[in-house]
Amino acid sequence: MNNTDYNQYIDTKEGWIDRRIFWEQAIYEQELKQIFAKSWQFIAHESMLPNKNDFYTTYMGEDGVIAARQADGSVKVYLNSCPHRGNKFCYADDGNTRSFTCNYHGWSFGIDGKLGAVSNPHVYDEGDLDKDKWSPRQARVDSYKGMIFATFDEEAPSLEEWLGDFRWYLDMMLDNDGETEFISGGIKSYLNANWKFGVENFVGDAYHALWNHDSGLKAMNNGEGFGAAVTEGSFHASVNGHGWEFGTDGYADIAILGRPKWTEYVQNVIKPKMEKRMGKLRSEIFGSLASVSLFPNCSFLPGIQTFRVWLPRGPRKMELRIWTLVNKNMPDEVKQEINIGCMQTFNPAGVLEMDDGENWEGNTQVNKGYLTRQEKLHYGCGINRQIEHDELPGIIYSGQFNDANQRHFYQRWADMMNADKWADVPTRYTPKYAGKPTV
Amino acid sequence: MTQENSSNGFASLELINEVQQFLYREARINDNEQFREWLTMLTDDVHYWMPYRYQRYRKNEKEPTIYDQSYYCDTMQDLEKRVVRTETGTCWSEDPATRAAHVITNIEVELTDNPDEFKVYSLTTVHRNMNEDEEHTMVGHRTDLLRRVDGQLKLAKRKIILDQNIFMNKSLNVYL
Repeated sequence: MNNTDYNQYIDTKEGWIDRRIFWEQAIYEQELKQIFAKSWQFIAHESMLPNKNDFYTTYMGEDGVIAARQADGSVKVYLNSCPHRGNKFCYADDGNTRSFTCNYHGWSFGIDGKLGAVSNPHVYDEGDLDKDKWSPRQARVDSYKGMIFATFDEEAPSLEEWLGDFRWYLDMMLDNDGETEFISGGIKSYLNANWKFGVENFVGDAYHALWNHDSGLKAMNNGEGFGAAVTEGSFHASVNGHGWEFGTDGYADIAILGRPKWTEYVQNVIKPKMEKRMGKLRSEIFGSLASVSLFPNCSFLPGIQTFRVWLPRGPRKMELRIWTLVNKNMPDEVKQEINIGCMQTFNPAGVLEMDDGENWEGNTQVNKGYLTRQEKLHYGCGINRQIEHDELPGIIYSGQFNDANQRHFYQRWADMMNADKWADVPTRYTPKYAGKPTV
Repeated sequence: MTQENSSNGFASLELINEVQQFLYREARINDNEQFREWLTMLTDDVHYWMPYRYQRYRKNEKEPTIYDQSYYCDTMQDLEKRVVRTETGTCWSEDPATRAAHVITNIEVELTDNPDEFKVYSLTTVHRNMNEDEEHTMVGHRTDLLRRVDGQLKLAKRKIILDQNIFMNKSLNVYL
């Protein structure tokens, strides 16, 4: 049983968040148990595991896992820890192998994660070791349009239910013109910041872009900044803690890459197809100033095409993993324009990314001050701007300069932290697409 | 320019000295944030590349290409954009300034088929201090192509391999 009511740390009616959720070790331990041991989490893109025996190592919370392509084309995800003494049995980031062998005593595991041979098996007497019972724990795996997700919770709802109507939005990124893929590579970096600051920035913080990223934007955009905030024709959309903030001008984020071939490709190839398949509104949303997070810790920027996870490393540190998403059928020169543009903007040396890390570390580290962390943080922007919209699914607010998606992200956070069972996690929006495809 | 090259095919002491002075000057100019001046030390067709490094089993090792993810994969035009950022006056994270010291060592100079181009290996160790007390050290293995243009050495190509798998800090705000 869980004796703390985590609603005490947030107030979505008054619009504030308690700073201790970005600092306290006890709260963090509860996050690992209540959020990362239960949620569906982004593991890898299908394109990272194109062939049989391809593998990729990552983390769900602080639990190290291996994702591996099986002979039948499916993907398995299992703990990267030997059941003998616990050592990681794979220290590579990715690659291709038929089996993994633990360095310590030579226990071997198939690509399916099952314990196979052990070294010097004659040291075990008959009956000492039942190999069928001593394999690392397997996660549930499912995917949505190229994104592989996993959860270790057998009771968790289906991935489709977890994503819910957010699929309507995801399709703009993952299905605007056929299958997608990641550019090869996977830069990782540490930030001395709480993981939630990355997620909440992408879930709905368009506001910071105007001020914080002025220099980066001017660098990429021939000296032009964003100008004043335009609130007409822009929205926040929240579903199950996932959030997409967006405008509808269609080009602001694409222009940030400063790559004419990409801009032309969006205009001439992607947008007409989107309008035909998905309707006018979604074709207008894609490419506008926008940012997205999936609960709990995966984010991306449609149009800029950076894709990332914020892996928790204690309450005061995170590991950021970044990729670049492109459509498989794009000409190579367009893929490379996106690759270069994304690198220049959103990587550790990127002219936009560099300014973000500074802020998030500051947000986190000030809380070492006892008095400082007793103070609340303001999340009240646009608190009365909720609207009903004929087309947009989810909880909708007007104006992308708004804290709405952040408030709903933290509400989902508190709901998960409080829940003893899945039935305790409320669905706070009215689904329009339950059981239905979104394209 | 053959007088620079000793008859045995090795770089002459004069050439080695000239290359060293070039690299030290470049380091000083970067430490002083004279980025416009730094650009004048590069050829117009410069390629400044710091690839992503794969951390794989030896049997799976893979060399990065420019079509993979990189930290830098810049032309002159791209580098100019980065310099523009520092000149806007709104580059908040660089105010107060980052303090950086480039220590350049392990310099080797090799001749190439082109008498005006030289392959240069070096190690760059960058000590960076920023904000109240943040210290970060980065070590990069550099392979450069220097070209003599109108009598002056310029950097035409640089490939930097960083000795970190996870980049250990929030930003790479100095050139290696």
